[in-house]
Amino acid sequence: MKLLLLAAVCFVLGSCTAQDDPVFDVRSSRLLEVVSAENEVSPYVIAAKVRTGRDLAGACLLLDSLTRDRAMGGMFYAYSLIGAYLFTRDALPDSLHAKVRLAFRDRTMYRGDTENHWVMYYTGLYLAAQTWPGEGRDTWFNGKSSEENFQEAAEWLGHWMTTSATIGQGEFDSPTYITTFLTPMIVLHEFAEDPVMKKRAGMMLDLLFADFAAEHLEGNYGGGHSRDYPEDIINPLGAPSTMWAWLYFGKPEFEQWEEARFRPRNRGGWETAFGALGSYRLPPMIRSIATDRSEPYVHTETKRVRNVIRLGTEKNPPVYKYTYVTSDYILGSLHGGILQPIQQHTWDVTFASGRPNNTIFTLHPYASGKELAMFFPEEIKFLADEVDRYHLVYTSPDKWNSSSPYERTFQHRNTLIVLYNIKEGEMHPHIDGFFPKNLDERMESAGWILCRAGKVYVALHPVRRGQWIEETVNWRWRSHQLKNGVIVEVGSEREDGSWEAFRTSLATTRLDTSAFNTTLSLSYRNRQGVDLRFSFDGTRMVNGKEIHLTDYGFFEGPFLQSERGSGRITMRYKGRSRTLDFNTTEIME
Amino acid sequence: MFIMLTVLAVAGAEAVGQTETLVMSVLSSRKHRLNVSDNPVVGVFVSTDGGETWEHRGWKEYIRTFYTEAASDGVIWSACGNGVLRSDDGGKHWRITTGWRITEVLKIDCDPSDPSTVYAATAYGIFKTADSGETWEEKPLGLKLPFASDVLVDRSDSRRIFAATEEGLLMSRDAGETWAPTALQAKQIRVIVQDPVRPEVLWVGTENDGVFRSSDGGRTWMQRSAGLRHQTVYAIAVHPNNPSILYAGTHGGGVYITVNGGERWTRSSKGLGIPVVHCLLVMKTRPNVVFAGTLNGGLYRSTDGGRTWKLNSQDQGQIWGLSTQ
Repeated sequence: MKLLLLAAVCFVLGSCTAQDDPVFDVRSSRLLEVVSAENEVSPYVIAAKVRTGRDLAGACLLLDSLTRDRAMGGMFYAYSLIGAYLFTRDALPDSLHAKVRLAFRDRTMYRGDTENHWVMYYTGLYLAAQTWPGEGRDTWFNGKSSEENFQEAAEWLGHWMTTSATIGQGEFDSPTYITTFLTPMIVLHEFAEDPVMKKRAGMMLDLLFADFAAEHLEGNYGGGHSRDYPEDIINPLGAPSTMWAWLYFGKPEFEQWEEARFRPRNRGGWETAFGALGSYRLPPMIRSIATDRSEPYVHTETKRVRNVIRLGTEKNPPVYKYTYVTSDYILGSLHGGILQPIQQHTWDVTFASGRPNNTIFTLHPYASGKELAMFFPEEIKFLADEVDRYHLVYTSPDKWNSSSPYERTFQHRNTLIVLYNIKEGEMHPHIDGFFPKNLDERMESAGWILCRAGKVYVALHPVRRGQWIEETVNWRWRSHQLKNGVIVEVGSEREDGSWEAFRTSLATTRLDTSAFNTTLSLSYRNRQGVDLRFSFDGTRMVNGKEIHLTDYGFFEGPFLQSERGSGRITMRYKGRSRTLDFNTTEIME
Repeated sequence: MFIMLTVLAVAGAEAVGQTETLVMSVLSSRKHRLNVSDNPVVGVFVSTDGGETWEHRGWKEYIRTFYTEAASDGVIWSACGNGVLRSDDGGKHWRITTGWRITEVLKIDCDPSDPSTVYAATAYGIFKTADSGETWEEKPLGLKLPFASDVLVDRSDSRRIFAATEEGLLMSRDAGETWAPTALQAKQIRVIVQDPVRPEVLWVGTENDGVFRSSDGGRTWMQRSAGLRHQTVYAIAVHPNNPSILYAGTHGGGVYITVNGGERWTRSSKGLGIPVVHCLLVMKTRPNVVFAGTLNGGLYRSTDGGRTWKLNSQDQGQIWGLSTQ
């Protein structure tokens, strides 16, 4: 029966052509089968019901509700309403055409104050203005004519694409927020009538997916993240990015929504249904980049800090990112400091264990009105309380996401050093470490915390001691030492052989903390005999040679290469290349 | 006690037969939750009966309304997250006059001598329109991060503009074309106010340094913070008839009053539910009626010149701005 329905879905969509993209085609059909059976007031459910022919009457009722439902508003509404409408309009009665149009007159749509908000808002405005051209100022919620709205939206979207392709996104590499960039771009790519905008939206999809692919492992988005929800940080396969990986990369094998252990916070987040309905297809090279883990590799990136509006010296300072990717784990880090307010995730090791909570990391839970005031215009002394209302954990001492001015990292392949220099009097004078309870082993020996998750081995050596606190799904390692550091070594059965061999290899390391108290610097010889020296002031040395983060490219690694500011991103795989040139809007293969 | 009697004696002199329109900007509310339908209505509210009743005139949904005021020609201008909005029909219909380059608009000030000219203080600097919002132009402050909390057009010389920045108070003598620092540097300025009687007298409130006063049009400044135990000053209001009486809205201390031109401030927050006061307004026609907009506590009104306060409306609201027409 299930197969019959799948076949029917394929027939209606007319897209199950195996030579196109068999992985995508099978999965998109399966996704639409599931989403079209849902009954919530969701633009994605509506589009799936109509396009599969499963329930037109039900979809019309839901769309009618959606045009009146004031619980959903602003930018989320702007792009998803027009998206659902454009995917379904040929099947809709006249009354619904009119209601959707009126929503863009009567609903006041908030533009928001983040990058993802603006992408959603202006995508919605662009497509709505394109859909109803030549209409006067009094027919739009913002008092601008169709042409004024279209021009403004086109200009900003162009600006965002150029910025993202030259100095990077501010909300980069986010397992949570990637949905809010991919979905609008899918809609824009599908329905923009201007061929240049359509092509650039497709190129942005290539870029977003390639960026994800280079740090992807079995459905996990590895490495440091600009923003992430705590639930997703401690359970990476529960993040929205996993849904996109499942559909486009063919990983993981299981269906996220069927697995309680990995079920997303918002089960109704069926944004991927727009992807399943759309004509965008992932270039095969990007899927290969996402899934070929035959050789470990180092991948570096330069991104940008979200707009700093005050209490800083530069609007968009660079963010330096280092990621080491293997077939079993990803160890990745941002260079540290305040790079994003509220939800930064500076480093972790994420492993492919097939279990939930497959990650280990440390952080300093920093909270300050000054940090928030760097990015938000409300009053400095008011902001922390205000942000807590929405994100609930901002001032919590136990939070699992945070930037901190007192944290710095230095990574060399599968070795990471993290230094902490917490100022006296800070709200939360401690650092925390997340260790899942479902590790196969967790022990302490000779100053090391030794963890095994299947075939992955993780060792952490705190400079100063901490204590263990038992929690529901994890052990929390907490240290109240204001000046502290953690050495992290990651290995695997493939790299190191047995668990015992890995542990034995740690005996060959040398940690020199003699200058730690005075200069907050340390020297460390890792298991491979590489000498690393790191100071909190920013000195990073490998075998006596100083590492300058400013030397990082926009992308640098075996799969992605780009010079910062060039607007040209080249993907490479097995002798082939694909270059996205945002200067000329050309794709060269 | 002497201070309060002085306030009441002066405040008692009400103008008779004049109507006054009060405009309140409600940014958000502690009751507000994401993605629910029963959120309190926020935005622009207008009262024509001294705050007895308020009518909603802003957008139907949340767009972060920071401040709203009417120009001399009756056009209402609103500073919002979405940009600068204008309404020609008393708030029934609104138009966003700005594009994507102007966002996070915290304050506006209309040129009193030319209502088609409006200045906007934003998180990204000062912007100006000279054609009623058809076009806007940035007026670069020359700062790396030109965050501006407030902007003021000198009503005695509309070419003189003041900008409240994180690096001090800046002044332009050529309608925003060029800017220069005033003597008030290295202070985070939150608010600038001009004395309603003597235009050469200016007041500023700061993030951490209390209140400053200039009696020579901004050339020199003196700190006037004696008695202020809370140095973060978001709002200053001057009595319309007696400029020796001023009110200061602070973070943590609620309202302070001075009756001697800032020589000494006294806390006067009896009845205020929340001690974070972001805006203040003294009615021109009934100076004994004073409003205090709090952050997350709603709007409070005093009918005894600021001696005592009662919740007026917008319980748990964030009252970011108040103005009078």
